[in-house]
Amino acid sequence: MESKIYTVSKLNKYIKKIFENDFNLQDIWILGEISNFKLHSSGHMYFVLKDKESQIRCVMFRGNNYNLRFMPGDGMKVKVRGDVSVYEKRGEYQLYVKEIIEAGKGELYLAFERLKVKLKDEGLFSEEIKKKLPLIPHNIAVITSPTGAAIRDVITISLRRFPNLSILVVPSLVQGASAAREIAKKIDFLNRFFKELDFIIIGRGGGSLEELWAFNEEILARSIYSSKIPIVSAVGHETDFTISDFVADLRVPTPSAAAEMTIPDKNNLINNLSLLKSKISRAVKRNIELKTEKLNIASRSLKYQGPENKINQYYQYIDEFNTRLSSRIKHKVELYEEKIKKDSQRLGSLNPWAVIERGYSICRKIPGKEIIKRLNQIEVGTKIEVIISDGRILSKVEKKEAVSN
Amino acid sequence: MKNKKKIGEIAFEEYIGKLERIVHKLEEGELTLDESVKAYEEGMNISKICLEKLNKTKKKIEQLVIKGEENYSTKPFSKKEGESKINEL
Repeated sequence: MESKIYTVSKLNKYIKKIFENDFNLQDIWILGEISNFKLHSSGHMYFVLKDKESQIRCVMFRGNNYNLRFMPGDGMKVKVRGDVSVYEKRGEYQLYVKEIIEAGKGELYLAFERLKVKLKDEGLFSEEIKKKLPLIPHNIAVITSPTGAAIRDVITISLRRFPNLSILVVPSLVQGASAAREIAKKIDFLNRFFKELDFIIIGRGGGSLEELWAFNEEILARSIYSSKIPIVSAVGHETDFTISDFVADLRVPTPSAAAEMTIPDKNNLINNLSLLKSKISRAVKRNIELKTEKLNIASRSLKYQGPENKINQYYQYIDEFNTRLSSRIKHKVELYEEKIKKDSQRLGSLNPWAVIERGYSICRKIPGKEIIKRLNQIEVGTKIEVIISDGRILSKVEKKEAVSN
Repeated sequence: MKNKKKIGEIAFEEYIGKLERIVHKLEEGELTLDESVKAYEEGMNISKICLEKLNKTKKKIEQLVIKGEENYSTKPFSKKEGESKINEL
């Protein structure tokens, strides 16, 4: 009977799989002391983590170690987080490190990280619940040490920016075991008895992580979260955040910055107000000028197009018309006079009486007074009258005799 | 957002916003004379309110003294180094 034969690489691959499928070996924290530390030119770190009895090879790749806050070195007590797996080429298992913290600071750091995740998941940091600070605060409170530089800075800067401000100093411990509870209690107290406060600044000057620790405690975080009065977190540190910073409605790096950022410069505000006022005055003045100008133009054009002008125009028109009319009539009259003169002359020459005067006569039938011009108008015996210049002759037709020409 | 502002109290920035809108409307030049005069009066009134708001608080630096759960008093803030600086203002 022949048992199955594996290649070395197949065996190592198999072992690696077993390591990687075991959750007890993935993303775990290990406490130990660094030895044999080497920073390779590639940027990867190699070292051995050991305690009194045992040791394990570790590698921390460049992608994980670039944001380390300190340079690890031999003899350093650290906590490392990582996965245990197999380096197949050598058949060695080792720890693939993702994070290293110095063991001394480790406890606080871990607590901080745990609380941060927890409160974030609960929604205490969410932007939507952050309250807006009023632009013009009238009453503010500062919870801090009454003897530190922080309170002096806040008061000095605040009053320089806004000279008539009401500041309530609320003395409190800001470091030590009971500091967080004390600050939290004072926030609650102010919420009960000083509802008119525009906001509360909590803070202290800079210090070590341990000195600032009160601002990383859950009790303070919860108090900030439930405060109806907006909270400004002003813990003196430039780079790192505290839990208070995350929960507060506004986070500023120092107490001085709290005053600079929350208290408006009164002079600026007044200047701005004056500017707006003068802008309004100027705009109204300009408006009135524009309207006046428009009125002037309108009244000028009204005069031009108005009734007075129209009437005058009509007068002139009528005058003109009159002149034209009278000259026309005169012309017509003259024409008629001329015509009459001519006509009367012609009439004179045509007057039948003038002809009769010269010896002609007119012959008319007696009944009907029809002027006889042709023979066929009469019969023998027809009574006629012959008109001559001084009377008429009554006669009777005796005979008709045509004239042949 | 939690809001503690009393109803009816208009924030300073809203007044400033109103003033800016009035300036804008006036500068557009579309208002009638009547409207201009009204806008002017409103603007002057608002800026008066704003000034009043800026001046309404009295300077006061006090220190809270808590006496048990329900009682407290206040006294003038007396931090010696702080005091001398504050008095210079």
